[in-house]
Amino acid sequence: MWQVYQKELLELMRDKKTLMFVVLLPLLIFPLLFGLMGLVMSNVSRQAEAEEHRYVIINAERAPAFADALFYHKNFKKVETDLTDASDLKQAIRDDKFDVAIVIPADFDLSADNLNQSKWQLIHNSSSQLDMVSKHFNDLLKTFSKKLQQDKLAGLGVSSDKVAAVLEPVTVERINTAENRENIGEKIGGFIAYLLVPLVLAGASYPAMDIGAGEKERGTLETLLICPISRTAIVLGKFLTVLTTGLVSAALTVISFGGWGYLIGSMAGVDVVAKTMETLGFIDLTLILALLLPLSAIFAAMLLSLSIYARSYKEAQNYIGPVTMVVFMPLVVAILPGVELNWKTAMVPVLNVALSIKELVKGTIDYLLLAAVLGSTLLIAAGAIAFCVSWFQKEKVLFR
Amino acid sequence: MIEIKQLAKAFAISKQHKLSDSEKNDVRFGGDRFHSVRDVSFSCQAGEVLALLGPNGAGKTTTLRLLSTALQPDSGSVLIDGQDVIKKPLQARKRIGFLSSSTGLYGRLTARENVAYFGRLHGMNENDLNQRIDELFTLLQMHEFANRRADNMSTGMKQKTAIARAVVHSPKVVILDEPTTGLDIMTVQTVLDFIRSLKQQGTPVIFSTHHLDEVAALCDRVVVIHDGVSAFNGSLAEFRALTAEGDLRDGFLQVINKEAV
Repeated sequence: MWQVYQKELLELMRDKKTLMFVVLLPLLIFPLLFGLMGLVMSNVSRQAEAEEHRYVIINAERAPAFADALFYHKNFKKVETDLTDASDLKQAIRDDKFDVAIVIPADFDLSADNLNQSKWQLIHNSSSQLDMVSKHFNDLLKTFSKKLQQDKLAGLGVSSDKVAAVLEPVTVERINTAENRENIGEKIGGFIAYLLVPLVLAGASYPAMDIGAGEKERGTLETLLICPISRTAIVLGKFLTVLTTGLVSAALTVISFGGWGYLIGSMAGVDVVAKTMETLGFIDLTLILALLLPLSAIFAAMLLSLSIYARSYKEAQNYIGPVTMVVFMPLVVAILPGVELNWKTAMVPVLNVALSIKELVKGTIDYLLLAAVLGSTLLIAAGAIAFCVSWFQKEKVLFR
Repeated sequence: MIEIKQLAKAFAISKQHKLSDSEKNDVRFGGDRFHSVRDVSFSCQAGEVLALLGPNGAGKTTTLRLLSTALQPDSGSVLIDGQDVIKKPLQARKRIGFLSSSTGLYGRLTARENVAYFGRLHGMNENDLNQRIDELFTLLQMHEFANRRADNMSTGMKQKTAIARAVVHSPKVVILDEPTTGLDIMTVQTVLDFIRSLKQQGTPVIFSTHHLDEVAALCDRVVVIHDGVSAFNGSLAEFRALTAEGDLRDGFLQVINKEAV
């Protein structure tokens, strides 16, 4: 068994494609992609922030203070128009004559004695995800309204020191009982599984295809089968190889993210890694690994079984593709808000591990549930390995 | 010496598979099973070379896979020097060397690593293994590309490596499944020379082939398999004597046609 294991590892190490998937992907490409994504995002929002919006304002003379504030705002540029009707303005915006129209009613009255509510119109295309127009407009209107509010209250005889009590009779100070760790855990705990599990799968699936279907395709399987070692030993050697690459891939990712996190953190002056390690602690980290190990074993056994069944590399790829999708589903469910680890979710494979990791990071794990999750995952892993071994003894699988 | 008695092997047919008319007439389809090998018996003494002839799909490859223990027979027996291969496949495999034209090598391993891997799987210790590899590489003139990866080898080099791999554990019997199919003339010569050297050492060789000139040049015994049955089993001289002119091709056709009637 170890001879098979040794040789498979040696062969995989010499393969450029494996190195790509197992080493390069987590070490360089992922951090690079995430970095690039962050860069693009910040660029886009900066651009949106600097963008200039052409506006028209109808009946500006009714609210000169607001019109001036708008005029001097760096993101707004005034455009003249003769249109006054809302539907005409709408059409003009569609025709790209300007970006936004503000309609102040002709009867709008600034004076403090007028206590009627006034309804303004803001016409623009708000389908953009970064709706800067509304944001800027609301800011301006808030200042304007506040001033009006104070004037009107003063007109009613409310002195300026009572204004706050009138506007907001009760304020609430919130004191959160959740530890800082719980908050962080809720946010990133789900993502750890979301990130690690697909990596294990990705790291394992290429080698699985190579040493299962690949061996069939090359015609080396038959020779291997007539060697005086049992088929169980062969398949276990292969299984361990697949498991190793999956775990190595995941471990490299963790190290890589830790390293990059440390690098960026130390540049920014906050040591993210040390903080994370501090909150997690050794035991929880070990438990997370203990959960991932049998899960990886399940994947390895599953992938290898599919790969052995396939006649060729291509066929193996066709089988393994959908499996990846199926594994993704529970991971997505695990990061949905409101999904928690209980006796029901603890019975769903993959989902239970993802949720347990989340709870572990939060520091709120129920150890009885954890034991159940670990036990059931181990049981499934043992079953998957047993299936893989017996699968490898079947002539109709090996000689298709 | 290797003795094969009344070997039989059937494969299950999937339910979706609809039998064509010609398949329905095939004697080997019975119920839900395809009887690939029905009754094959022959034997091969030390120093003999036995040729397995037969049309495509006659059951040659299945027979050889049964001999090499890759497949388990439904019934019948295979004895190597009196030891039962089917009952104790792990021990028997140490005595068998197997090679076919389609067996590949591990492309990312060198010639030496390819051979050594199988040597180790056969339980050889490092000293014996290195000695044996040196011996084989000298015999097959492989030293110059011993450390080249299989992916970068020519077909001839690959076939030599495959041969060395098949006999690294000094097997008591060598089984070759169409070892010359699809190879160029030089490489075929390498394979034939190798069979000859085995014959000189007294190792029985069983090989399947479609080339009658190879049979005429090398073989002592001939077995013709047709529809999963050993239709002819005898010496080369007896095979020649099937027709008055002693033509092997006519003799072969005669055996096949007699079965069909």
